[in-house]
Amino acid sequence: MIAAVYGPKAGTRKNENPEKACIEVIWKPKTGQSGKSEREYEMTLQSICLLNVHPNTTTSIVIQVVNDDGALLPCAINAACAALVDAGTPLKHLAVAICCCMAENGQILLDPSKIEEQKVKAFVYLVFLNSIVSILPEGGKSMEHGILTSVTHGVMAVDDYFSCLKLGRPAASELSDFIRNCFKSKAGNDPSKAA
Amino acid sequence: METKPSSTFPSTFVDQLVVPGDVILDLSSMANQTLKLGGGLRQDGDSISVMKSGTLRFTKPNKYWVESSHKRYVPSVGDNVLGVVVDTKPDNFLVDIKGPALAFLPVLAFEGGTRRNIPKFEVGTLLYVRVVNANTGMNPELSCMDANGKAGEYGVLKEGYMFESSTGLSRTLLSSPPYPTLEALGKKLSFEIAVGINGRFWVNASQSSTVILVGNAILKSESLSVVQQKIYLEKLLKSIQ
Repeated sequence: MIAAVYGPKAGTRKNENPEKACIEVIWKPKTGQSGKSEREYEMTLQSICLLNVHPNTTTSIVIQVVNDDGALLPCAINAACAALVDAGTPLKHLAVAICCCMAENGQILLDPSKIEEQKVKAFVYLVFLNSIVSILPEGGKSMEHGILTSVTHGVMAVDDYFSCLKLGRPAASELSDFIRNCFKSKAGNDPSKAA
Repeated sequence: METKPSSTFPSTFVDQLVVPGDVILDLSSMANQTLKLGGGLRQDGDSISVMKSGTLRFTKPNKYWVESSHKRYVPSVGDNVLGVVVDTKPDNFLVDIKGPALAFLPVLAFEGGTRRNIPKFEVGTLLYVRVVNANTGMNPELSCMDANGKAGEYGVLKEGYMFESSTGLSRTLLSSPPYPTLEALGKKLSFEIAVGINGRFWVNASQSSTVILVGNAILKSESLSVVQQKIYLEKLLKSIQ
């Protein structure tokens, strides 16, 4: 999955609100064309970006699918988030996305591959806010429990959904630790730090 | 994730990596203090949270900002930038400075500029200018004069070649003590360089091979540490002799 962020560029598209910045997501699948699924990605990414820092501009995010091994949406969200941070777009938080699926025997699998995804009867994509390092003693908790997006495919019981959520949260916090370490190692190449 | 209880001043995250969403200061427990927030931070009710990922910096008495390096530039007042003329209007030149919007350079913003001697810039002219106004939502305004109204170093950059880099590299090129690559190159070769904080720099020398050498050396040195830079430069300068 390759994600690229272009912008902010001058002008909004299609006369949208000029008081805010506009986020445009272009989804390039491996084969063929895509339709309305890109709207979901757009809304998720729009909710984490700060929209009033650069009014009347458009930021374009292009996502190119190189290899599809299951869990396409979470992969795309994680890649797009990393690209936004690298580009310096003002963000409210980072979004961390995971995928859970329900196998036939009632077990819950995290991060399925393509074959597993096709075999199970239901799976759910969840996007959480990342866990933040905060000065506030209590304030951090309410933020960590926020869900940005949840997309389900197939049929699953309500209890199963909640247990997926419970399993998903620690997975998401581990992912956000990983992402934080990645940024640290990238920032470590800064020449001012080496001196 | 560790949470540090009870806010301390200065913040405990100074000189550490921060990521969007991190809360670095709690204002409710600090009364009657004025803080100056630089780029990358915003006030969210009672807390200061991070907008861009980078290293949190602090200088006494009360300035906080996030240091990060990107390919796009966010215009701010007082910066010296390299701009390329894109269009000419009766009142302004439209100049591209790698920011979200095109910047305006008033036709009279030159030393001794009057309606009779308006400079004629073609599309594609490279200029070294200063940012005078940079409000959000409006196009930034530039000037070819310094604060006293003198021309100083501002104006057209003739000949030479312009390279694009990241804003972080531009800042380190302008820092003091001088950047090791620049020092080493300056001892052996003679060239002229102008650095814009918007991620562009311009090099001019009597021979074009020198220009290419200097430009590529600077671009390559961004990813090397100080020791690696010295080794790379020694090899490079030996190979041209």
